[in-house]
Amino acid sequence: MRILVLILLPWLSIFLQSTVFSSYTIKGTTPDLVLVFVTFFALFNTAEKGSGYAFLCGLLEDLYMGRFIGLNALSKGLTAYIVGRVQGNVFKENMFVGVLGVIVATVLNSLFLFLISIVVFDVFHIDTGMLHHILYQALYNVIVAIPLYVWYYNSSNSGVLKTQWRV
Amino acid sequence: MLLLVIFISLAVMKSTATQRSNITFLEKVIRDTYVPLQGGVSSIRNNWDGWTAVFSDKSHMQQQIKLLEAENSQLALENQSLQEYKQESFRLRKMLNFDNANRENYDLLPAHLIARSPNNWYECITIDRGFRQGVKKDMAVISPNGLVGRVGSVSENSAQVNLITDREMAVGAIIQKTRETNGIIEGLGDSNQLRMINIPYYSKIKEGDRIVSSGLSAIYPPGINIGTVTEVSREPNGLLLVATIKPTVDFNKLEEVFVITSYHPVEVFEEEEE
Repeated sequence: MRILVLILLPWLSIFLQSTVFSSYTIKGTTPDLVLVFVTFFALFNTAEKGSGYAFLCGLLEDLYMGRFIGLNALSKGLTAYIVGRVQGNVFKENMFVGVLGVIVATVLNSLFLFLISIVVFDVFHIDTGMLHHILYQALYNVIVAIPLYVWYYNSSNSGVLKTQWRV
Repeated sequence: MLLLVIFISLAVMKSTATQRSNITFLEKVIRDTYVPLQGGVSSIRNNWDGWTAVFSDKSHMQQQIKLLEAENSQLALENQSLQEYKQESFRLRKMLNFDNANRENYDLLPAHLIARSPNNWYECITIDRGFRQGVKKDMAVISPNGLVGRVGSVSENSAQVNLITDREMAVGAIIQKTRETNGIIEGLGDSNQLRMINIPYYSKIKEGDRIVSSGLSAIYPPGINIGTVTEVSREPNGLLLVATIKPTVDFNKLEEVFVITSYHPVEVFEEEEE
């Protein structure tokens, strides 16, 4: 069940982003639900597992878009790895951790997207419009992250996302 | 292991960055799994106004509005081409040896927008017409208000349209009234703004000028509305001008588009001297 939910989350996120949230933007910016869930997963698991899951989620997004396949996979994978590295030192009971994690992840993910794009394609030029996008996306991500973190935290402790330990 | 993954990712990224003739089977399958649900949500959203009108006993008014909107769209489309013909006839009167007998016309395939880009870095939409309905990669997409973009990739029942506001898009354009400037319209990743570059410093381009597609490409027919000039400035080198363009299409309210399914670029022949 846990695996099924973990597969469905990025799929549903892309669906919601492309239909519902794209109609309700903040200054033309949609939230990145995939990144939000990837950040939560990295916070509740190890850096290695987090980056692996994030890579696959980003790959799904890339395959859906059909352009620059690997760009989101790599940027999200690297972002989740960094988030996963610090997860052992934070109290996950505190919702502020989730919110802060999402803000940091949004900035890191955008940074990786820029860097990869500049190094590999030389297509993106950083302008103020892009910086606005990052700021508004961080804001939008936080808005959606607050209720989602409560659900994710509860599910990870006693719900469908709880890891089943085998003896 | 990590380095290997990064290396493979970069290689795949590089190979899929350029124009591909077709997307892979996996990409088609993934995209088509979304189409039925996206179509459903799009249909609900489009009919939402109609439903609320039923509940508020304004169905007749709603019907009238829909009819008028459809008529308005039709008229806008006709007006757009008439404007172009007006300019053309004006030019033809001045040019005795001009022969444009091969002027093309094109077939339009109506399509509904069912989804938008799930992230902020790409400006694209998904339409409910795909390979089965005759849509092919690189076909131009228009709306009654003007140029929307071009088909980037096609799956069985849907197609992804890269909007002209996408950072990777470039469209040859001219000033509709004077026909003088062959500039290039670039997307800025912002649905409310475009940029026109490669404008010579002596150009008479000014605020309020209407910009249309030049037709100097095999993709976009000439005379399709693109936008209106809102600002003109000089590039740092001083030799070229750059203009900010407000698109005529409101990409945030786009619901229906037309795919140009048969377009052959104009070939202008000069009459051979006898």
